This record gives sequence, C-alpha cells and structure tokens, in this order.
Amino acid sequence: MTLFRQVIEPGNPAVDPSRKFNLPLSPAVRGGDFVFLSAMAAIDPATGERAHGTMAAETRQILTNMGALLEAVGSSLANVVKVNVLIYSMLEYENMNAVYREFFPTDPPARTVCGVKLIGGHKVEIECVALA
Amino acid sequence: MRDVISAPASGLDLGREYGHHQSPAIRAGGLIFCSGMVAVNPETGEREHGTVTSEARRIFENLKLLLESAGSSLDRIVQVHAMIYDRIEYDVLNRIYRQYVPDAPPARTVMSVQIEAGFKIMLDVIAAA
Repeated sequence: MTLFRQVIEPGNPAVDPSRKFNLPLSPAVRGGDFVFLSAMAAIDPATGERAHGTMAAETRQILTNMGALLEAVGSSLANVVKVNVLIYSMLEYENMNAVYREFFPTDPPARTVCGVKLIGGHKVEIECVALA
Repeated sequence: MRDVISAPASGLDLGREYGHHQSPAIRAGGLIFCSGMVAVNPETGEREHGTVTSEARRIFENLKLLLESAGSSLDRIVQVHAMIYDRIEYDVLNRIYRQYVPDAPPARTVMSVQIEAGFKIMLDVIAAA
C-alpha cells in the first residue's frame, strides 16, 4: 500500500524558511489524513525576515502564520490535533500560554511544551499535526 | 473527524488544574495524540514530584487510564517522545520504561529538556485508536 504524500508550498513564499534560509525542509507535508508542519519560528510575512520579539509577540506571529499556512492547504487551526511548543525557558510558559489560548478558543489540540535551546535567536518555535 | 478525549479522572485535566490550554488527547485519523504527560495524582491533580522511576510509574498508570478510556491501551502505543531533565538518567528511564512496554515496544526518541514545574520526566505519546 502506498500512502499519498505531498509537499505543501505555502501561499506566501516569504514565510517559507527553506527558501529564505536555505534549509533542507518542507514547511508542510501531507501524508495520509494528516498535514505535518515543520517547526515555525516568528517570521515577518511581508519580508520573510526573522521577527524577534517578546514571547507573546513571537507566539502571536507564529500562530498567525500557521493559520495562514494551514488554510492555504484547505485545513485550519481548528483542525489541528497535536501541537509541540518549544520555548527557550520554561519561566516564560505563561507568556506563551496566554497568547496561545486566543488562537484555539474551544476544544484545543493535545499539546506538549518543553524548554530547549533554539536556533536563530528565537524564543519560541511551534510545530503541529493537523487533519488535512 | 476530530474528537476530544476528556480526562478519565478529574485530576488528569491539566487545563482545569493548572490552566494549560490543551485537551488531554485528541483522536483523529485512527490515531490518538496525547498531550505531554507529567506525574500528577489522577484523583486530586496534585503534582507528584519524585525520582525518574516514581514519576514514570505514575505517568504510565495515568496513560493507561487515558488510553483505555479512549478504547486504546499501552500496547497500542505507536511513538513516544520521552523527555527527561538530565540525560544522566537515561538508564534509569529505560529500566522502568521496559516494564510498561515489555513486548514490541513503540518507536521512541529520548531528549533532555526543561520540563514544567520541576518534573524530571514527561512522556509525549501517539497511539493507535
């Protein structure tokens, strides 16, 4: 049995880090019933530049871009089943959580949050799996 | 089709207990995606800090409750991300871990990260529904 696998091109190429930063990844890949997203850092959708800021600002930018990416493939934030949030310090957990809850008002996805060392000077990266 | 799996015991609802904005688990596409699990008492929701061994034991017991309430079980786990506070405890993790998934264990990745609230271990699980 061969399952369907399709690389997803974002509607806005500025938010595609594989182009901007020459990274060997696809922003999203559809496989089976799901869309798997690469971890997203805060990127200015107008310029493609890194949008460094507070935990709240970076979280908001990422989830805004994530919603746009999912909608470009016919999915949406409401179809997200699992989220992994990687933050630079668990002391900032609540600053992430407060913004996060605005984007998932009801029946939020399953989620794991952990503190790790991130690249690119970012404070947070978010990845997800969504129903296609 | 995306179903929220509610907490099988009131203490396991970390959203209500601690304000985590997450569902305990989501069932979709034949899989069950669980939120990262830490050692909490399933009745009271109190955190049960301890050793890697005691925390892992509590997590697996809670995971068993959660998966079985959703019609799955520990032996249907597909993938585990095991997060520990210090990789020096890797062997300690393995000793307790193999007791709960003795046969045909799931795919697994272990990493050393910061975990919420001073816990030593967190398990992030995907199981077949």
